[in-house]
Amino acid sequence: MDYLQYVDKDSLLHRLDPRTKFFFFLAMAVLTSLTKSAAALVFLFLFFLGIWLSCGIMSEMGKLLGQLKALLIFIFLLWFVLGLFEHPPVEGGPIFYEGNVLGMNLCFDWYDFYKGLVYSLRIYLMIASFFMVLITTNFSEIILGLCKWHMPYSISFAIGLVFQIIPIIITELRAIMEAQSSRGLEIEECGTATKIKNYIIFSIPLLFRVIGKGHAISLAMHFYKLNFSVKRTSYKTIKASKYDAWFLLATAVAIAGTVALRFLFYIPV
Amino acid sequence: MNYRIQNLTYQYTPDGSEVLKDISLEIRQSAVTAVVGPSGCGKTTLVNILSGVIPKLESNGVLQGELELGENPLVSVVSQSPENQLFGYGVEDAIAFGMENMGLPAQEISERLEYVLDLLNLQYLRKRSVAALSGGQRQAVCIASVLAMRPNILIMDEPVSSLDPNGKKMVQGVLNQLRADGTTVLIVDNNLEWSAGIVDRVVGLSDGRVLFDGEKEEFFRNFDLQEKLGVTIPQEAEIYRAMAKIRPEIPMFYSMQGALQQLDALFAQKELPAHAAQELPEEAFLTAHQLNKIFADGFHALKDINTSFPKGQVVAIMGQNGSGKTTLVKHLNGLHKPTSGDVRYNGQSTLKKTVAQISKNIILVFQHPEHMLFEQTVTQEITFCARMQGLPFTEEQVAEVLEKYGLSADAETFPINLSMGKKHLLTILSVLFSSADVVILDEPTLGMDLHIKKQLEEIIAFLKEQGKTVIMISHEIPLVFKVADSAVILSGGKKIYEGGKEALARRDDIFDSINISLPPVVRLSRRYGFGKVCYNVEEFAEQAAAMLKREDA
Repeated sequence: MDYLQYVDKDSLLHRLDPRTKFFFFLAMAVLTSLTKSAAALVFLFLFFLGIWLSCGIMSEMGKLLGQLKALLIFIFLLWFVLGLFEHPPVEGGPIFYEGNVLGMNLCFDWYDFYKGLVYSLRIYLMIASFFMVLITTNFSEIILGLCKWHMPYSISFAIGLVFQIIPIIITELRAIMEAQSSRGLEIEECGTATKIKNYIIFSIPLLFRVIGKGHAISLAMHFYKLNFSVKRTSYKTIKASKYDAWFLLATAVAIAGTVALRFLFYIPV
Repeated sequence: MNYRIQNLTYQYTPDGSEVLKDISLEIRQSAVTAVVGPSGCGKTTLVNILSGVIPKLESNGVLQGELELGENPLVSVVSQSPENQLFGYGVEDAIAFGMENMGLPAQEISERLEYVLDLLNLQYLRKRSVAALSGGQRQAVCIASVLAMRPNILIMDEPVSSLDPNGKKMVQGVLNQLRADGTTVLIVDNNLEWSAGIVDRVVGLSDGRVLFDGEKEEFFRNFDLQEKLGVTIPQEAEIYRAMAKIRPEIPMFYSMQGALQQLDALFAQKELPAHAAQELPEEAFLTAHQLNKIFADGFHALKDINTSFPKGQVVAIMGQNGSGKTTLVKHLNGLHKPTSGDVRYNGQSTLKKTVAQISKNIILVFQHPEHMLFEQTVTQEITFCARMQGLPFTEEQVAEVLEKYGLSADAETFPINLSMGKKHLLTILSVLFSSADVVILDEPTLGMDLHIKKQLEEIIAFLKEQGKTVIMISHEIPLVFKVADSAVILSGGKKIYEGGKEALARRDDIFDSINISLPPVVRLSRRYGFGKVCYNVEEFAEQAAAMLKREDA
């Protein structure tokens, strides 16, 4: 689960004001929710690709794709199968098979692939936009950005803390798995049922470690006089720069292009 | 003004037993005070009361007595795990966190930040991320973050327990700065080995009572009390203890400088007799060949390591953090697969075996016992390896081991509830019931007091007697020289030494290169040309007595 962690680099995305990145994610979440045109989504994917290449985060995005592979294939197959039960809503395009199978009218055509592609691409782009923010914004910046958006500090801090704790829990889980296998617990050459049973075994020490960490963190919050009812100050400030302006402009152009393509090449799905 | 605790009594529940029993003590302002005592003596409860955790966060107990800490005292704590305490991605964020919570203006935060970074010589870390820091650096940043809040009292709870020698030196440097700066510091640690030169006073707790409250020199003279409290003291102080039995008039010392001053007056410096080459057994049944490990991020952790581990030997693996010690042993038990090279057990490559399969021959006990404990009772936990490997055992055998190592009373206890030292002991004891003939111990002394450390020495000796090979990673160099037969030393992923400890004891160049000091008994026995290099205080005292007898004659 390393792919969920902040990647320390000096790229355009890293230099942006966190608020710009939050806006980018929200805009992309809305856009991908509303856009069901393959042409528009492919255009958006190319825009994303440009960002990844220019920011040097291709390998991280590749890892994400690898992790989402099963989910994306499932979504593709789901809509592909559902598509078998309907005819294409537009004329033209190849139909590979049409007929009655076991009392069901099936139509195997190009539109089944189209539908599967559109839905899996939408999900991938939506997750990728969140991921781009996650791996280029450290939790201190997340807290600062959310506070600038007038979110209460207690909520901003809790969100930031989650991102701080995730790597700790991942490290703990790995250490527990290694420790138990070192004592003779077979976790490599075993069936699915044993694997599930092993995860239950791992969850016990993990639970105690997480409770211990939680206790230590709450003590530390006390030692540092963290009191959400008292107004706190901030040493660092965040400020938008010309990079933010350029990035927002590029995002606006990408949104406009996507919307235009959505209307020009729309096939109802 | 000094801070006072008057007649303090505490129970965690109204009908529970008293954890602190009518204790009174003084914390001297601008001095460094060490609070020592065995596990369960009430040290942590005292810290929680002083820092306000009791009664603010833990309010179910009954607290009686008085704390005279002045008006609105700020008591800050540095814990033994800075990764749980630092909030913020970067070093500056983490140091500013407490000051931001206090509502200080940005200008003042900036000034205090510069002050602590300068005071503790941490300017070079200010732009780094906390995650990228070493253990010692994290602890130093943690100290800076609480110091910036300008506490009246700074409490440090076992601050070096998980640090390597470099990390310890860094924290020692920071504490010396604080001492010079007049900060009131309370070190809560049963190990005075690293802090003997820094602390001014010692408070000894046992069973919730104050057994000692006085100057450190007085404490170092009181041998019975040190034993009773199970305090780890510097080896120089142990040498003084042994020498005082031979020459009662010898002035007290607890540092190398002090030892040289006093012992130079007793012994002339001599050349050590020539070293006869130590013959190590040839039967190396676990070997690593041209081992290379490059991690996914490109870090070259092991570089062409060739090494062998003989049967029935105790082999120490030493080096600073990041030198490749843990990576090497994780190759031996199959947790890591090499980028190139091979690991062979009895001449057979282990690369295609699973970790569980390898564990039948080579078992690794982890540094943090919480990663290993998950059974419901101590008895179940101790037999875990045997059950996983399908080995027979009897209840009598289990009871015997529990009795021998003082765990009988805890036989039905939930292992997580044991003290840190006992948890570690339990994970080590569980390998006694396994079939493995190579036992790897990664930092086995973590959280152990003096009594449990002695039990660990017994376990290692027992395993060796049984013909098993013990591979031990440890930063406790005196212990290493006491129990090991040979050593492998790594630096930057390369092997820089492999051989017997007799030869190693004469290799100052190796120890200089890894920035680790040889144990005082080794250095002093070499300096005075004793009949042989000594590896423990008993040997040293024997040799010293013999030499004094010769000189007197």
